[in-house]
Amino acid sequence: MNGLKRIVITGCGVYSALGDTPAELFDHLAQGKSAVVRAGEEEHFLPTAPAPRDPERFRSLPRTLRRAMAPSACFTAMAGLAALADSGLMRDELLALNAGCAVGSTMGSVSALRDGYSLVLSGQSDRLSPMHFFKSASHTTAFNLARTLGLQGAIYSPCSACASGLQAMGLGTALIATGQTEVMFCGGADETGSEVSGSFALMYAHAPAEGNPEDSPQPFSAHRKGLVCGEGAAVFCLEEYEHAKRRGAHIYGEIVGYASNSGGTGLSQSDAPAIARCMTATCAMAGIAPSDIDYISAHATSTIQGDAAEAAAIREVFGDSVPVSSLKGHLGHTLGASGPLEMAAVFEMARHGVLIPTRNLRDVADDCAGIDHVTAPREKKIRVFFKNSFAFGGINASLICKINV
Amino acid sequence: MNLTREEIIEAVNGALVNEMELDPAELAPDKTFFDDLGLDSLDMVDLMIGLQRKFGVSLRDNEEIKQVRTLGDVYDFFEKNQAELTRQAEAAKKQAAEQAANNQ
Repeated sequence: MNGLKRIVITGCGVYSALGDTPAELFDHLAQGKSAVVRAGEEEHFLPTAPAPRDPERFRSLPRTLRRAMAPSACFTAMAGLAALADSGLMRDELLALNAGCAVGSTMGSVSALRDGYSLVLSGQSDRLSPMHFFKSASHTTAFNLARTLGLQGAIYSPCSACASGLQAMGLGTALIATGQTEVMFCGGADETGSEVSGSFALMYAHAPAEGNPEDSPQPFSAHRKGLVCGEGAAVFCLEEYEHAKRRGAHIYGEIVGYASNSGGTGLSQSDAPAIARCMTATCAMAGIAPSDIDYISAHATSTIQGDAAEAAAIREVFGDSVPVSSLKGHLGHTLGASGPLEMAAVFEMARHGVLIPTRNLRDVADDCAGIDHVTAPREKKIRVFFKNSFAFGGINASLICKINV
Repeated sequence: MNLTREEIIEAVNGALVNEMELDPAELAPDKTFFDDLGLDSLDMVDLMIGLQRKFGVSLRDNEEIKQVRTLGDVYDFFEKNQAELTRQAEAAKKQAAEQAANNQ
């Protein structure tokens, strides 16, 4: 990124089904735990991967903030507060730095939308709280994070379904690289719900209700039948490198490449050539050869078309020499949160020198073969990793991060 | 709605404690909602929505309730207007029932 400022990550916070610290998340991933459960007691209920929603967990957020937050914003606020604490930055410094945030989600809050429409459609609109708007607005995760941290800089909220979180990271990267700010809190968050799972089920892209929930999803597997929706949040503190160095901040890594593109025609279908172009562009921006990547954290959600297209694109750009795994088998597809949340896990993998395998991947599908699938824990020094996120509407996003700058 | 002042106080204070998470010890009649209790205009809308439901009345178009400043003002408002508010609610209910019958 010649002529641009360097961007490093100096804080990380997560809120997930498998832990609300990166270390706890990693431990559960390393143990092979699954967050997937049946959405209800009846056999026909679809599998899902919920994060803790117990209101007591959110009591640390003042009521004046919490009143405008649905679960997606609560997840974000908890992750954001952890990222701020981890960064070592003080709140008055954030003001002086004009720090902002970029946090994306699929649709704000599906539960708040449902609650609001339920009242209106049942003739009870007189019971509708003014807070319903703030809870369900598409940018609820972003402005609620800004209020929680007291940020007075720019607030952005990419709303690009499952690529929202990674696009938020890309947006923060661009703002810092071009000198518009020195600190951005960036990430993604999302909620699952029957409306979300049902939408995928209608397209035959959801894992079935039958069988043991923990056996789904199965990214890259010959037996994959669709994804499982999850939820959670991850927020990173992105900081201009020289600023971070001056204050002696702990640096997780440096974002050296980011690109986003589209196939131009896709609705739900994945487009392998477009994905390959996106990954190639990311490597070009980073000035890094594909062969120098140590690990690819795949988007792979366990859909028939999506996994095959991503595998084909990885095969074309990286061949079979770069280890690849997807964390969707453990966490489900956390939608707008997935990019940043899975990145948080990769930083922990790097710290431990071990790659987490794709859970539920025993028989690699023929259409996903020809790449280096990680099917068992593998010792590996990660110096540079690659993250993919894709979304309905033909959206692709990729990011490269260097560890130990 | 046919409540004593004590019952009105209990209901209003209950909403403030449960919905606004206020300390019951703070709830004196002379306390102002904004400066003393730390609420804002959006909280007041939420409070009124809760009280509408609790008392079975409609406050949406009531101009007098929009003028309250203190907790005592709210107690006084319901004590003074409860008969009229109940009459309005019953008239609205009757009108809705008639309209539903006409639509059938």
